[in-house]
Amino acid sequence: MPDTPEESRVAATDATLDTLPKLLLDRAARSPDRDAIREKDLGIWQAWTWREYRDQVRAFACGLAALGFKRGDRLAIIGDNRPQLYGAMCAAQALGGIPVPVYQDSVAEEMQYVLEHAEVRFALAEDQEQVDKLLEIKDRCALLETLIYEDDRGLRHYDQPFLHGFAQVQARGREFDASNPGHFEAEVAKGRGGDVAIILYTSGTTGRPKGVMLTHDNVVITARNSAAADGLRPDDEVLAYLPMAWVGDNIFSVGQAFVTGFCVSCPESGATVMHDMNEIGPTYFFAPPRIFENLLTTVMIRMEDASALKRKLFRYFMAHARRVGVDILDGKPVSFTDRLLYRLGDVLIYGPLKNTLGLSRIRIAYTAGEAIGPEIFEFYRSLGINIKQLYGQTEAAVFVTMQPNGEVKPDTVGKPAPGVEIKIADNGEVLYRSPGVFECYYKNPEATAETKTADGWVHTGDAGFFDADGHLKIIDRAKDVGKLNDGSMFAPKYIENKLKFFPEIKEAVVFGQGRDYVSAFVNIDLEAVGSWAERHGMPYSSYQDLASRPQVLDIVQECVEKVNADLAGDERLSGSQIRRFLILHKELDADDGELTRTRKVRRNTVHERYKVLIDALYSDAKRARVETEMTFEDGRKGTIKGDVEIRDARTHAVLAKAS
Amino acid sequence: MDILTAIFVTPFSEIVAGPVFFLEVVVSGLLTGIMYSLVALGFVLIFKASGIFNFAQGVLVLFAALTLVGLMERGVPVIAAIPLTMIVMIVLAMLVEKLMLRPLVNQDPLILFMATIGLSFVLEGLGETLWGSNVKRLDIGIPEDVWQVDVGDKYMLLNSFDVYAAVTGAILVVGLAVFFHKTPIGRALRAVADDHQAAMSVGIPLRTIWVIVWSVSGMVALVAGIMWGGKSGVQFSLSLIALKALPVLILGGLTSVPGAIIGGLIIGVGEKVAEVYWGPAIGGAIENWFAYALALVFLLFRPQGLFGERIIERV
Amino acid sequence: MAKERTNGEVLLDVDNISLSFGGVQAIQDVSFDVLRGEVRAIIGPNGAGKSSMLNCINGFYHPQKGTITYKGVKRSQMRTHEAAAQGIARTFQNIALFKGMSTLDNIMTGRNLKMKVNFLLQALYLGPARREELEHREFVEKIIDFLEIQAIRKTPVGRLPYGLQKRVELGRALAAEPELLLLDEPMAGMNTEEKEDMSRFILDVSDEFGTTIVLIEHDMGVVMDLSDRVVVLDYGKKIADGTPDEVRTNPDVIDAYLGVAHD
Repeated sequence: MPDTPEESRVAATDATLDTLPKLLLDRAARSPDRDAIREKDLGIWQAWTWREYRDQVRAFACGLAALGFKRGDRLAIIGDNRPQLYGAMCAAQALGGIPVPVYQDSVAEEMQYVLEHAEVRFALAEDQEQVDKLLEIKDRCALLETLIYEDDRGLRHYDQPFLHGFAQVQARGREFDASNPGHFEAEVAKGRGGDVAIILYTSGTTGRPKGVMLTHDNVVITARNSAAADGLRPDDEVLAYLPMAWVGDNIFSVGQAFVTGFCVSCPESGATVMHDMNEIGPTYFFAPPRIFENLLTTVMIRMEDASALKRKLFRYFMAHARRVGVDILDGKPVSFTDRLLYRLGDVLIYGPLKNTLGLSRIRIAYTAGEAIGPEIFEFYRSLGINIKQLYGQTEAAVFVTMQPNGEVKPDTVGKPAPGVEIKIADNGEVLYRSPGVFECYYKNPEATAETKTADGWVHTGDAGFFDADGHLKIIDRAKDVGKLNDGSMFAPKYIENKLKFFPEIKEAVVFGQGRDYVSAFVNIDLEAVGSWAERHGMPYSSYQDLASRPQVLDIVQECVEKVNADLAGDERLSGSQIRRFLILHKELDADDGELTRTRKVRRNTVHERYKVLIDALYSDAKRARVETEMTFEDGRKGTIKGDVEIRDARTHAVLAKAS
Repeated sequence: MDILTAIFVTPFSEIVAGPVFFLEVVVSGLLTGIMYSLVALGFVLIFKASGIFNFAQGVLVLFAALTLVGLMERGVPVIAAIPLTMIVMIVLAMLVEKLMLRPLVNQDPLILFMATIGLSFVLEGLGETLWGSNVKRLDIGIPEDVWQVDVGDKYMLLNSFDVYAAVTGAILVVGLAVFFHKTPIGRALRAVADDHQAAMSVGIPLRTIWVIVWSVSGMVALVAGIMWGGKSGVQFSLSLIALKALPVLILGGLTSVPGAIIGGLIIGVGEKVAEVYWGPAIGGAIENWFAYALALVFLLFRPQGLFGERIIERV
Repeated sequence: MAKERTNGEVLLDVDNISLSFGGVQAIQDVSFDVLRGEVRAIIGPNGAGKSSMLNCINGFYHPQKGTITYKGVKRSQMRTHEAAAQGIARTFQNIALFKGMSTLDNIMTGRNLKMKVNFLLQALYLGPARREELEHREFVEKIIDFLEIQAIRKTPVGRLPYGLQKRVELGRALAAEPELLLLDEPMAGMNTEEKEDMSRFILDVSDEFGTTIVLIEHDMGVVMDLSDRVVVLDYGKKIADGTPDEVRTNPDVIDAYLGVAHD
């Protein structure tokens, strides 16, 4: 390895490299020929080296300058993870501008809000789909002047004068560069660590999105600290597949990549992520629990279709892995025969399995965002995949706590990340302070004041506590931890997560605040339950159809009752066993505002829209009728009617402290 | 009681007592099996590409071997005789397409099957008229030694001819697999096998494909003919090995190339092992009917064969 | 904008065609033309002779009466693969893909006619054949990218859902770089979203490659959105021919469609 860890450590500590563009120039100077970022195009992986990365950024930055982009200007970036889009982000930063990545699946109104609020003058769209959305809102966004598109497919007949192709902008940039030599370097040199590097709009669970302003210091120092803590190396492989508008992508695919010099790969398309992962074999990987769950569900479904012999082998070795796999991963003593059997399992089952999942080279994998099912977590760890949890926020530039190697527990989120201080408020809320803490919310001093104290402490809004080993444990949103009418504690998210840990249940919303008992809405997992239905020769026409089958209700009832049994084991929570539940007639959907773009439930919206059903849960009714408005994928609106069955679930008496 | 012991106990105790001998039996079974596979492969190729069950495949083997021997008897050296025979097989494929397949296009498969029966008589007659009907020795210079292979402190005996034959067969099979899956023509062949109409609409000329398939089948027949002919002489009975290929097809499935190969190996090993270990109890000659008995069992329990497409239509 | 697609040159001229099977008259004295670059729809109730018409153009059927002139050349008995060689590609009402083969292989077969290298070299897969294969592969990858089916590149098409199979079939037809693309009910059996995707692809094909398209479709909404001109058949006879607006208001058409569900 010519590009040694020593070398990258030099970069990691050099305080003069205080902005991302400076880091990029430094990389291009020191390891010009190493691959920096690649993308699969026409079925072949095409890479930019660090030198090419710099040259691309330089050309686009100069092109922006030629188009009149000035210091402090905002550049909206909308699209899937593409090298050009990452390059554009850095180009804007090089000119002292601020990139504002926007979730690519935003509908036009959401996009309009962000673009208006951030006072965006320049926007870069990946393709026709995004350009069409921008054109739709352009008249309403007074400041929006210039649109740039990356992929010209279908855009041939668009002749608006303010519309430019990415390559043309770069060509203009090269001319500009030739007639203004040194302009680019001078602009980069003007940048300071305290400058705002990016504005990220968080689709909070309530209200309008807030623009979190992170400085270069926030991103660079956090990236350095976390990269050092996990020993990231230039030869690590990362797949950039999560939205660019999400803070994590900025740390994992940009900050840490620039600091350590590893190569980032962009998938061919959203649908090919699994294949691409398999080909790239990432060593450092991040995924929300949902993705790990989906992967596991796919495996299980495939195993159901496999031959009897394969199924038997799979069950046998998975049972063995569950018994000893985690201990082997954690380096704990395990008997020789168990080790040998585990080796055999690795050859026959674990290895091929990890390979199909694209996880065979993983050194470090993280999951965060919400709690992961303990079974799922153990499943991956028992295969020898070092998956860990972290607790992070956009406001913290991701890292608040992380699980150090060898100290991984399924039910905690780990210890404070390097440089992070944590305290627990009297009401149980977790507060932190760190170099990654955001500057402020853009144009929203009230919200900033509510969240960030004068001396830099940030309210997470989550309730939690430290366990005996100094690991943070999160229970629920601080404001969501409530009480039932009889005064017993009610932690909805905790219960919902327990429900969602069943593969058959995709989403759950529980009610109980100010009520006599707890009840629940459930969304079944169409894939898991659908395949069950297929195996049992039960044809169905739609989600709604499947969700109304009594057999499906039976399955869910079983899950609910298992959760109840579990809750009954805990003295404080036994009061919140689920008495009544129903399966919703439609899937909760971000397009209908029921979920956030990161797929968290918007409780208030659900409360409003399904009031009829909630009332029915707190009556004696056996069925309820409901009519809901929904948005189709093409943006049209319609209504969906449903007749929903309500079931009573068995609850348990409080168990004496058995466990 | 004795017979039960002879069937259920003695053979196994013999296997355990003499593992090296057992290995020898298995290996010789495998070597024969490859030959069965080769013949079956010819069937599968033609069936896949044209939906015809080619009854003449066995005669094709005989015809190829006869041609080769005939040429060599007339003083053509081996190096030239083999390519010449290949050309003859290609010309034959063209004739078959022109005189048989083209006039019968879109006819019922049964009619085409009958036509191949006719073809087998024509070829047999033609071969014997051209090259004579006496039994001929075919020697293309493959050495026939006996090799001793050390296994631990014992050794087993191998016939070098069998090994050469098996290796050639294996190379041919690998070559065909590559041809089918990696080349444009192979892809066109698979396309035709999959759906005739669709293949025509994308401009794949069916007739050319038929010529290619029959030629390839002819090549496979030639290799099989050389190997079998070298072992047991070139004579009319050579065409009867086609009958051994039938159970292989039932085992492997009529449409599966790997099926033909594995089916051949199973039958080769099965009949050798049965003959050697169970022969004494049952009275010998198991080798002659074992394959058919096994095929019957398959017909009862897995009619689509080991690898054949499941006969389930998705609606 | 639609009108700009064509330069007025007649690519295909169907003149007074009649076709019958035994006693059944499938097509009776039908004439119409297709201009280079346009999207031409053939509509009509079930059994109106739409698919038969496509099969005549494609060379599957040979009309007993009348002539078909393609690219200025009057055609006699032409076989299907010859039609393909002259730049006519098509998709089928009941998908006719190679079910056991992958998406990639299926689309590659569409390149079959473009393969120029000597037959023997191809069989042996030597030098130039290998290079040519790579060039074709690159072209096919562009189609895969165009149709956004990267994720199913290696999947046997038999395992794909219906909507995707239709898309692969379109891809295979496009691989031949046709001048004339015949689409037989490209949206049959699709849901709204799939239909919109397919419409977008068809328009993109017309815009990006300038391909002339003749399509049969039941969904009137789709036809009106997509096509430049529409021929209406009823019981084998032509009852109307014109722009979507003209056809929509034609009393004969309204009669023919009376009682037939459409939206």
